[in-house]
Amino acid sequence: MQDQLREAARQAQTAIAACQTNNDILNARAQFLGKKSLVNSLYSKLKDLPDAEKPAFGQLINDLRSELEKLLAQREKELKEQQRLQQDASKAQDLSLPGIMPGRGSLHPLTVVRREIEDIFMAMGFEIAEGPDIEDEFHNFDALNTPQDHPSRNLADTFYLENGLLLRTQTSTVQVRTMESFAPPIRIISPGRCYRNDKPDPSHSPVFHQVEALAVDKHLSMADLKDTLQNFARLMFGAGMKSRIRPHFFPFTEPSAEMDISCVSCGGHGCRICKNSGWLELGGAGMVDPAVLKTLGIDPEIWSGFALGMGIERIAMLKYNIPDMRILFENDVRALRQFSGESL
Amino acid sequence: MIISSRILGHYIDLPAELEQLVHTLTFSGIEVEAIKEIPELPPTVISARIISTEPVPDSNHLTKCMVDHGGPEPIQVVCGAPNCREGLVSALALPGTKLGDFTIKPTKLRGVESFGMLASEREMGISDNHAGIVEFAADTPVGISVNELYELPDAILELEITPNRPDLLGYVGIARDLSASLNLPLKEPVIQKLEGEKQCDMGLKLVVEDPEKCLRYTARLMEGVTVKESPQWLKTALIKSGLRPINNIVDVTNFVMFELGQPLHAFNYEKLRPLSLQDVQPAIVVRKARAGEKFEALDGKSLELDEADLVIADGQEASALAGVIGGMASSIDENTHRIVLESACFQSTTVRASSTKHKVSTDSSYRFERQLSPFAAETVSHRAVELILETAGGKLCGDLYDAFEQVPEPLRLTLRPQRFEELIGYRLSPQEITRYLEALDCKLVQENPDGMVFQIPHRRVDLTREADLLEELARLAGYDRIPSRTSISGIMDRHAFKNRRKIEDWFVQAAFHEALNFSFSDPAQYEALGLSTADVQDRLLKLVNPQSSNQSVMRISLLPQLLENLRHNLHHGERDLKLMEIGKIYCNVKGKIEEKLVLTAVMTGKAQAEHWLQKSEAVGLWYVKGLVEGLLQSMGLPITETKEHSQPWLAPGDNLAWLNNGRICASFGRLKTQTAENFDIDLGILKQEIWVLELDIDLIAELTRDRETVFRDLPRYPAVTRDLSFVIQTSVPYSQIREAIQAVAPELISEVQIFDQYLGESIPQGFRSVSLRLKLLDREKTLTDERVDELLASVREMLSRTWQIKMR
Repeated sequence: MQDQLREAARQAQTAIAACQTNNDILNARAQFLGKKSLVNSLYSKLKDLPDAEKPAFGQLINDLRSELEKLLAQREKELKEQQRLQQDASKAQDLSLPGIMPGRGSLHPLTVVRREIEDIFMAMGFEIAEGPDIEDEFHNFDALNTPQDHPSRNLADTFYLENGLLLRTQTSTVQVRTMESFAPPIRIISPGRCYRNDKPDPSHSPVFHQVEALAVDKHLSMADLKDTLQNFARLMFGAGMKSRIRPHFFPFTEPSAEMDISCVSCGGHGCRICKNSGWLELGGAGMVDPAVLKTLGIDPEIWSGFALGMGIERIAMLKYNIPDMRILFENDVRALRQFSGESL
Repeated sequence: MIISSRILGHYIDLPAELEQLVHTLTFSGIEVEAIKEIPELPPTVISARIISTEPVPDSNHLTKCMVDHGGPEPIQVVCGAPNCREGLVSALALPGTKLGDFTIKPTKLRGVESFGMLASEREMGISDNHAGIVEFAADTPVGISVNELYELPDAILELEITPNRPDLLGYVGIARDLSASLNLPLKEPVIQKLEGEKQCDMGLKLVVEDPEKCLRYTARLMEGVTVKESPQWLKTALIKSGLRPINNIVDVTNFVMFELGQPLHAFNYEKLRPLSLQDVQPAIVVRKARAGEKFEALDGKSLELDEADLVIADGQEASALAGVIGGMASSIDENTHRIVLESACFQSTTVRASSTKHKVSTDSSYRFERQLSPFAAETVSHRAVELILETAGGKLCGDLYDAFEQVPEPLRLTLRPQRFEELIGYRLSPQEITRYLEALDCKLVQENPDGMVFQIPHRRVDLTREADLLEELARLAGYDRIPSRTSISGIMDRHAFKNRRKIEDWFVQAAFHEALNFSFSDPAQYEALGLSTADVQDRLLKLVNPQSSNQSVMRISLLPQLLENLRHNLHHGERDLKLMEIGKIYCNVKGKIEEKLVLTAVMTGKAQAEHWLQKSEAVGLWYVKGLVEGLLQSMGLPITETKEHSQPWLAPGDNLAWLNNGRICASFGRLKTQTAENFDIDLGILKQEIWVLELDIDLIAELTRDRETVFRDLPRYPAVTRDLSFVIQTSVPYSQIREAIQAVAPELISEVQIFDQYLGESIPQGFRSVSLRLKLLDREKTLTDERVDELLASVREMLSRTWQIKMR
């Protein structure tokens, strides 16, 4: 009996050690511990033993049983560990091969710049207002204090439609429309398309984009205009950017000014781009002319306002160093692709 | 803090409407956190005295009482309350009285007749107390309406007192603040110092060892007091504030705390021991507790103190935990005739620390945890003395003992009226400023060019700077008065703005490049698209002074220019192109000018970038359709139908439009070879298809304007997926099959998805094999296998019935 026991133990240990899969483990468990197993058959032989030996032998079988259970569990754990190692083993790939990249699209650089301007002004508390491209003379000229004989009304400057309407020459039309419909305080910017009868060249295009800002409130002064310009310049072009305003003339602002920012190319030291002045012209600005306010039913004794306007093409060209405005309307993907990084 | 609005009304005339009181309190910075209204009782609830009792036979708790309610004859009432006893004056509800939903009727209990009900506070809606029937003061006359005795109706308010306002911790404080905000006089109780008997054999040794933690300690001695139950008005006041009446002495100290905001304590003089055997006079020593010192609190808890605790001790041991709770040993009982009345001020941090450490929170600790002003202690003592004499008799012995070291001058603050306008935003006249602040006892003592100088009452420990006064003024005048100037006026169409950006981004994510073209176009290009001159003539807006003939009209479509852009790029050797433009088109619609924002996209070549591992598919029907479907689904666009989008430039069959009530939101299709050729693109040579996609951006913005994302609770039960395959006529569209399946159990079939379609050898002509995955989800309960099987059986049954097909 002792020999049988020892033999059973030896066989089982060998078999368990040889297990290579979960299935092997299951089979081994059935073979050595199952109903028809060797260990089980030893139990049935207990009855043949003298009573005195029964307890001791029974204990031996039990010990063998738990020993085998332990071995099986241990082997199972080893196999699992092996499987894990296999799963996590290096696949030995050539990691210099390119990965699967999602496609890269792009917003048009004018859209990128428009969004940037919108975001900056919205952060400063401005809303965005839009209006039609096709306008009448009142909103484009009359309401803006433009004299009847002003040259900008000519066919050589402004596009007219056969129905007598015109294509707006600036987005100030939206300012007029906003002041017609809403009472102050008002803080808006109006981005949009404008049209002037200019032949396309490196710095002109008959279709172009503009953003104008308008603020009407109590106690607004030119200091607020300067602040707004300075904040915009810094946020758009960088913290070191300087700005200034110079006296100028526009029919719809009084006083009027032109806005300059330090040259984005040389930082103000003087270069070819800024014609060695250190400054670049950004656009026009001024305090809204009292006549304009009055025309729109706003009392200039109570309210004051400032307006400023700039071309999106010009800002895009400055920001991205684009040499010719016409490139912006060619839609050549070799150019557009360069703005993927700006569109994310 | 709990207050009764009726009792508050003793100190100031209140607004007629409760709502207005609550609003005034809340908007002057005293937030009303909860309101409990106690309704008026029917007039048939009256006071009545139990004149005799006898037990009801066969009952262990019922008592038969004869009750005198002021009528000609006593009434017999059966009562089950444990405190039902002879001589008690309680509340009697006569037959016919409605209390809540319950109407009192003459009844028989265990065979004994009962003609009314003796009621508990809970039964009358006064408090949650249901331990027994109410016990009115013994001298209460019978037959009086209980409304009168309890001051009903009433509203109990729970107030949030901010930590900076310890002056608001009593009725008078709240009333004073209201008097400022409502501009009504404060009806403050007149409090006078009463002189004690000079000849008196009581005496006290008062030692304050720690004046930093005990800012002030006053004591008053009284003898010959009769400890008994309180008069009814006092009982009522305590019950309204959530306290149980105990006896007249304790009740007075609690009432004065509720009235003036500063807690007090009364000690049994007889139980106070002297400092040493040689001393005759008992002692009160305010000192740090000794480490490990034992203290038995009034609530029965035994506390072990340490040196951080401040105690009021007699000559031997702690008699009270300062500002938190009194001790059992020196408590007042019926046999007490001589008392020491403490009115003191303790350091808030010490009280808070002791209260937290020993987990004892009382009305007293609640108040002392905020730093009270030591100046109140004397007045508070005088008030309590007056009320004790009134309710307990006896006499006052000697003068006030007062340990108070620091007597600082009242603070003076300068207020500049223009600062108010600068900081708060509107002008308040000096007259108004003076009125508000003087109502708070801030006296205007000087007016000079620098501003108005106010003397701050001691109780307002929170007013130390000009900014604090400005806050007081802003609060009392009401934040409603502050003008608001809005500059964001709703001019901007924020939804349309976001809509446009989302769509732009969607296409950039799908690797499109955005193009921008002029708003002008060449009328000949519309012919190139296949539109006849007659078709477009009326819609075109012509320029008077175009720069060239090919820029002579406003564009009515973005497609021609995009096709030109495509050709331009193809000519430069680019093969895989996805271009889109968002821009306006301009149409003359019967004399009216319409400017509409649209998106047009053109694409050709590979749908995805080429990769060495996987081949990229060419842009084709399913790619373009998915692009549109994905966008429309993400935006939640309500599509009512889809139909063929037949256009002269689109190949028949390979096109589709999505509509909402007849208006086209989106469309796509394959460009005809001829149209491409008209734009100088030879598809035969290119061997690629060109696909066109169009969106009406303005319409999409309009249709999604009211869409909102509303979070839905996550399902508590897991979803089950089941696959279903069958062969069906090719003439039956997938959308119809899907809708029909969903309709079988719309609340359970949460998704139907096709994952395979097969047409081929084993499938008969005119049929296709379709494999669907159904996701089943019940939000109410677990889906059992049986219910799933049943559901699938009805789906199969529906399919075979509707289309006469055989299920596999």
